[in-house]
Amino acid sequence: MAHELNRRSFLNAAVSAAGLVAMGPLLSACGGSGAQRAGVNSDAGLKAVLPAYVPNTAIKPDIPSVAGGPDVLTDPGFLGYPSTKIATVSGVPGRGGKYTAVTPLWGTIPPADNSFYQAMNKALGVQLEMKPADGNNYNTIIPTMTAAKKLPDWIQLPGWWNSNFNTGGLVGSQLADLTPYLSGDNIKKYPNLAAIPTAAWRAGAWGDKLYGIPSFSTGFKVAGVVFYRRDVLEAKGITADQVKSADDLMKLGKELTDAKSGVWAFDDVYRYIYTAFGAPLKWKVDNGKLVHLYETQEFLDAADWHRKLAVAGYVHPDALAGDNAGGNTRFYGGKTLIGGGGQGAWNLADLQSGQAANPNYRRGAFNFFSADGKSAPRVDMGQSTDIISYLNVNLKPEQIEECLAVANYLAAPFGSAEYTMVNFGVEGLHYTMDGGAPKPTEAGQKEVQAKTYPFLAAAPSAVNNPTGDIVTKDLTAWQAANVKALAKPVFWGMNISMPQAQATADAGQGVEDTLKDVIHGKKSVQELKDAVANWKSSGGGDRLIQWTNDNVLQKYGTGQ
Amino acid sequence: MTTLRADRPARPARLSWRTRLRRDRSLILMTLPAVLLLVVFNYVPLFGLATAFQEYDPLAGVWQSPWAGLYQFERLLNDSLFWGALKNTLYLSFVQLILFFPVPIALALLLNSVLSERIRNFIQSVVYLPHFFSWVLAITIFQQMLGGAGALNQFLRSNDIGTWDVMTNPDTFALLVTSQVIWKEAGWGIIVFLAALAAINTDLYEAAAADGAGRWRRLWHITLPGLRSVIVLMLVLRLGNALSVGFEQFLIQRNAVGHDTAEVLDTFSFYYGIATGDYSYGAAAGLFKSVISLLLIWGANKLAHAFGEDGLYRK
Repeated sequence: MAHELNRRSFLNAAVSAAGLVAMGPLLSACGGSGAQRAGVNSDAGLKAVLPAYVPNTAIKPDIPSVAGGPDVLTDPGFLGYPSTKIATVSGVPGRGGKYTAVTPLWGTIPPADNSFYQAMNKALGVQLEMKPADGNNYNTIIPTMTAAKKLPDWIQLPGWWNSNFNTGGLVGSQLADLTPYLSGDNIKKYPNLAAIPTAAWRAGAWGDKLYGIPSFSTGFKVAGVVFYRRDVLEAKGITADQVKSADDLMKLGKELTDAKSGVWAFDDVYRYIYTAFGAPLKWKVDNGKLVHLYETQEFLDAADWHRKLAVAGYVHPDALAGDNAGGNTRFYGGKTLIGGGGQGAWNLADLQSGQAANPNYRRGAFNFFSADGKSAPRVDMGQSTDIISYLNVNLKPEQIEECLAVANYLAAPFGSAEYTMVNFGVEGLHYTMDGGAPKPTEAGQKEVQAKTYPFLAAAPSAVNNPTGDIVTKDLTAWQAANVKALAKPVFWGMNISMPQAQATADAGQGVEDTLKDVIHGKKSVQELKDAVANWKSSGGGDRLIQWTNDNVLQKYGTGQ
Repeated sequence: MTTLRADRPARPARLSWRTRLRRDRSLILMTLPAVLLLVVFNYVPLFGLATAFQEYDPLAGVWQSPWAGLYQFERLLNDSLFWGALKNTLYLSFVQLILFFPVPIALALLLNSVLSERIRNFIQSVVYLPHFFSWVLAITIFQQMLGGAGALNQFLRSNDIGTWDVMTNPDTFALLVTSQVIWKEAGWGIIVFLAALAAINTDLYEAAAADGAGRWRRLWHITLPGLRSVIVLMLVLRLGNALSVGFEQFLIQRNAVGHDTAEVLDTFSFYYGIATGDYSYGAAAGLFKSVISLLLIWGANKLAHAFGEDGLYRK
């Protein structure tokens, strides 16, 4: 089935957006039967369906992974770029099927039907029409498609938007169940997919069935990292291991801030540091009782610490004015020296942007610590990936098999012939080998966007920055030093799909707003306490906790 | 004004609709695209208002979502955050009415008194320009100039004078946003007043000057009465829009001063309705706002008629 994202379905989508999604059902006739949600993954149920794991050992990393606790593993590091590119797929995977795929793209949308797409179609043996959409608006584009029941054949639905997309309600009704094709030993038909660790498949599983295909899975997933300008701090004789507590970090604020010359020590770092105070990501179980983040003293402590940081004048005024988009510019320009972010920020492009502003630029990250500096640091681990693609429920079984064969090609391990093709294109046309590393040609820069096909399927994460090995070494060393701190939080990888009323309470907008005011130094912790009390009583908070306790904790346990 | 009213043509004798249709067909044909746009983008979406009385679920659609009666409105009226947003909206609207509304009128009068056409066109272009900037850009300029790390404060800091918190001070937020509106929109707002000024018969000024009326007397007795109907019309429209003080301007600055100060009804609908997927609640807040706005505009129009003005339409 070649579903076209044509003008008419676009109009459908646009109109349903205009009418608060009211026109969708009107145009696509009265179909569907109430919204069923998938429920929750259970340990026992998942065990029966999760795919077998057959690691790929053909290409050896220069910096091997380091294991931590269960399902915790640092990403392998590769220096330079492999010179011999091993092929892992023989022949072409497809049989000429025609499909449309929609993925988010944070970058410039490449021209349609370009030479890279054509080369990929030839290599894959299918007519796969790629329709990358602007990543910044992706969360508003997709709901219009789902409301009109017009999803493409293959779609990327990032997990951090699961509640916006209502993924738990889409699986089964609009997204295909892949359990019969991938469960247990069935996956061995697709060796590169079988090389994706079992934990990653949990992220795409809903109600004990497999739906999603994970990309970039990792055993080292954390909500955020506190970064610092290693070049600047080391020049002042400050190294990361000197920071062992929240107090140490606060002291750096005084030492590094020089407002007169326009330098502030910190950007907004609350999101990346609150778990250091012992606060859970969202839930914890205390003596058998389910406790929400907002109810914990540690949550208030973390907010108060950041409030003091802001009041003392150690945070850049633009960050306090809520301008997060300028954070990178401030960091590159040396206007802030400590800031937060995801590990994804630590890469070759970052090194190049930073060096453009300052040739000495080097990013570093503080080790995880506990706020008091005494107890062992512990960080709640996120599910192993958020980049998950789904197939349309209307595809026929042989079409699903063809798409999975294509996914197997796309998921070829780092450095293989297929990986190089997917990420860099055709040698000579899209890239040339320069000093042992692929260097994009002009056509490559325009047409080969690194994150188009890999958003449909990709091998587990590997750290590689050809021409920037220092980044690979820094990042893998930091992961290895911190691997012991990671632990699974309550409800890890359980994909809870909740009714709308609970989802609204879960978003906790009133508390989040007040929290922002507190960490920006405009309100007291007492006012945060009041906001939490208000959230519990009239914002649905108590009902959310009760619902989660009854429907998740009591029925399925903690999932740890 | 009464003399003007006597000049109006008498209402034409009633023709059959067929005759009128034939007579006006080209006019009707010309308005058809606009009517179509209005129907498709303004009237059909009204159907979505049904969601305000439901527990709306986008996947189930309007037909299958369960009905909730007035539950969403009950929630709304018991929500202190909603009342806070309403209070802020009315307060900001009031401040803008007092401080912003007269500015374009004064500006138009000033501009009208400039005799050199070249200078007038130049000034006009300069004050129009900010209207075409987006709010993101306008606020970025304010932040770069007046923000905590902006040009002004870095200057004060380097001279040890202390800093002046303009952009993140909740107490002066109403003045800040009003000055932003003045900077951005005052120039644009003068267009309609300039047009009204151009329509005033210049013979009146000459006659008054011949009778010895000074500058201020002419302003008071000729210019302002000539502008009166336009001013009243703009005031009626402004009052009808009292609950819409703007959206992007507050969305962007909400984090800077905090939601207690910057939350207006539109941002409330966005954050508590759309952003959290609670569409029915957002729709209820939107509907509430629309009903009040309709009452306001109806009342203001009545008032205008009571004072013998045209208001939105002639009675």
